Amino acid sequence: MKILFAADEYPYSAYALNEIIRLAVNTWADVTLMAAGPVGIEIPQEHPLLRALQKYREIFLKRSETEGSPYARKNWRHEWLPLKNGLFEELLVCRGEKRDVRVCFRNDNPVSGILAEAREEDSDLIILGCTKGQECIWQDAPPVPQRVVNDADCSVLLVKEEQPVTRILACLDQSYISQDSLEMINQLATIHKAQVELVGLSQSGDMKKDVYRRLIEIGDYYEDRQIQVATQLTEVKDFEKFVAHELKQDLLALWVGRKSLLDRFYPRDWVGRFVSKCQTSVLVMR
Amino acid sequence: MSPKKLKIMVLDDEPIVCKRLQPALEKLGYEVDTFTQSLEALHRIRDFDYDIIITDLKMKGVDGMRFLQEAKKRRPETEVIVITGFATLETAKESFQKGVFDFIAKPFKLSEIQEVVAKAAAKIQAQSG
Repeated sequence: MKILFAADEYPYSAYALNEIIRLAVNTWADVTLMAAGPVGIEIPQEHPLLRALQKYREIFLKRSETEGSPYARKNWRHEWLPLKNGLFEELLVCRGEKRDVRVCFRNDNPVSGILAEAREEDSDLIILGCTKGQECIWQDAPPVPQRVVNDADCSVLLVKEEQPVTRILACLDQSYISQDSLEMINQLATIHKAQVELVGLSQSGDMKKDVYRRLIEIGDYYEDRQIQVATQLTEVKDFEKFVAHELKQDLLALWVGRKSLLDRFYPRDWVGRFVSKCQTSVLVMR
Repeated sequence: MSPKKLKIMVLDDEPIVCKRLQPALEKLGYEVDTFTQSLEALHRIRDFDYDIIITDLKMKGVDGMRFLQEAKKRRPETEVIVITGFATLETAKESFQKGVFDFIAKPFKLSEIQEVVAKAAAKIQAQSG
């Protein structure tokens, strides 16, 4: 699994780092810690984003340092690395023993920088933090979390605050559910020892047959894998209220797809809207 | 003389995983057998030698950890790659103590598994001279 941690220098990013460490040490993911911002031609070594990335790298390596850690930096070797204008320089680098932790900075607008990095690295998951409650912003670039959640090609885990996750509420409003997204929920349920609750979205008390069938299949899938699973139905028109008021120590998991009922019921950019309404962390799956 | 085709077993109780992996590995020139029942796979390794085994961990009947142990006991030079949807630090450590070549959490990209298989194949070929 390839995880991209997109961060700035504020405390919510440090909170989100805890989630990525937990996920990475359990799944042996390839990890990239990144930041992006327009800085001009030269980046000052004391730039706060660079200092934050260095601190996150130190914390990551220290906290993941268990016996047999895949990230232990033991592997020194010379590598040719591109610098600028076609110039390469041979540098001595130290790679992780079995998995690597890349640290990179993009001289770009944060949203386009994060999305480009995720695309180029073929990331499975972007993790980023944001402010608590209904704000859901980055301090120096407010729209970043919602824009990344809306526009990313891969799944996004938005960590709102440091809190235990005891339930994963997976909201199903369409029949197309990728195997990758089911597996992503498996991993998060395993790591948090969380119960999965499938929330089927209905319209005037009805659900499309294929969506209902898929809901049952997914319930069976998790039961077969000894994950505690429960099911409930919620009206699509009440979903915003449900998201805003009923979620406490929960992770809200939303599937985003072309056949989504939410997509038809709510205006454009509904994902970002629900994410900001939700008081807890959100996993947007693609 | 062309190098001998390496034989790979894929064991996962989810047919979709076998269905994805088989063509992706055959395309790279490996000979691939897939199994969704671990007991059946266990019988198979008793009378057939695989160079590489890719196995899931959580399965009904014989689980992946026991399968890995049996496979390494029967033929230590077989390289085993574990794929799991329920990864924990403990299962990763236990897999390595039992001699696994690599540990990959689901979801994974095909390119990721192809890369790990290529590394295992390179090790096997280097050892066989």
